[in-house]
Amino acid sequence: MESSRQLFSAGDIDAGVKEIAQKIAARFAGKDADFALVGIQQMGVVLAEKIYNEMKNLGYSPDFGKLDITMYRDDFGKRDILPMINETAIPFDVNDKEIILVDDVLSSGRTIRAALDALTDFGRPGFIRLAVLVDRGEPEFPIRADYVGFKVTLPAERKVKVHFIENNGFQPGIYDVKWQ
Amino acid sequence: MQWTRKDLLSIYDLSAEEITCILDTAEKFKEVSERRVKKVPALRGMTVVNFFVEPSTRTRVSFELAEQRLSADVVNMQAQASSLLKGETLLDTVKNIEALQVDLVVMRHSAPGAQNFIADHLKCGVVNAGDGAHEHPTQALLDLFTIREKKGSFKGLNVTILGDILHSRVARSNIWGLLKLGANVTLAGPSTLVPREFESIGCRVCHHLDEAIKDADVVNLLRIQHERQTVGFFPSTGEYAAWFGIKGSTMAKMKDDVLIMHPGPINRDVELASEVADGSNSVILEQVTNGLAVRMAVLFLIAGVRK
Repeated sequence: MESSRQLFSAGDIDAGVKEIAQKIAARFAGKDADFALVGIQQMGVVLAEKIYNEMKNLGYSPDFGKLDITMYRDDFGKRDILPMINETAIPFDVNDKEIILVDDVLSSGRTIRAALDALTDFGRPGFIRLAVLVDRGEPEFPIRADYVGFKVTLPAERKVKVHFIENNGFQPGIYDVKWQ
Repeated sequence: MQWTRKDLLSIYDLSAEEITCILDTAEKFKEVSERRVKKVPALRGMTVVNFFVEPSTRTRVSFELAEQRLSADVVNMQAQASSLLKGETLLDTVKNIEALQVDLVVMRHSAPGAQNFIADHLKCGVVNAGDGAHEHPTQALLDLFTIREKKGSFKGLNVTILGDILHSRVARSNIWGLLKLGANVTLAGPSTLVPREFESIGCRVCHHLDEAIKDADVVNLLRIQHERQTVGFFPSTGEYAAWFGIKGSTMAKMKDDVLIMHPGPINRDVELASEVADGSNSVILEQVTNGLAVRMAVLFLIAGVRK
């Protein structure tokens, strides 16, 4: 654990989630809001659930979906470890829907690229915006986040890890860790 | 659980964890077939050769559709149209296929172990689509998937496999899978087709239909193969139907929620009466649907291993 350090606390995460939810709410304020939150498996789904709860408190009830992008990865057959596939559930009509895609960390942008392909296979959304808790600021693809909790600049060999609950001896928080 | 095999050759080779990994993955692929776009780009740029040295319709179509839904490029080869007829060895034929930068070979062959042999010599992945009377792993996996979907788990589940066990690769693959996952397996049929030797691997062998089915949660029927009838394993198909066929009246002797399964093609009113095949306990067409998801999962896992 000496190779990791905490960047933000659990309290910071809660504040970040609240801020994202408020910004999204501001976008739909006064409109007949027909939008959806879609979390990217796995940590994006956890974050999307937190944002969803905040949106409820603010009087919004968006549709909710989960998206797994394993079948859409651009490194399939090139990795030593094939990630297990998680559930995809899009229980609403995607056509013309305004969709906020949610992931925990925006790093290379490749996950988001895959998610856009996966999501558009379900239909033709009205628009798609991106919400992330942490934006590392140097994507490899021309992809930017619209709603950001924290901006973090780190060397490429470091990884940002979000723990929403206590995990493997880590207290909840956002950490700077070494790539495994 | 981490999938590491480059080939799928038999159920016998797999651990319970590996079988469960395939079934879990197949669950996710079943959802893909319910989408508007029933296709994912996972195997884009990869080439799969379906090499069927023994004839097949339903398995080949199921594999081909699975490959297409994974966005692979697909080539179908049949023995009649291959150089095997010109005297080329099997190994030379598959080496030539591999030299075309193929990523996966799905093969059916009448010789048990043919796929193991070529898998040892090829860098690309090999999937066994049936080797003689040895194994038919993807059929067993789709049967297991269907059972798990309907019954929840395998622990203590009573599964009866009924029919020509002796010649059946479907039976062998199912037996290994069911035993590994904790089910109780009963094999039933005429004594000429259901040898007592199967008891030595942990199956119950039963030559009386009523006894074989009365506690069964699942009855998996195998096709009675008319082509083997001349050999004299039983006197006539009529007599087989009378003794071992599942009829409407047989249902009263079974559990109300028994699953009736059949890998197809069905000989209607021989091993299975139409009213049962088309009845509410039958999951025969769901097996076909699940077969697609299971084959997508197998191809996905095999192709995802770095070679």
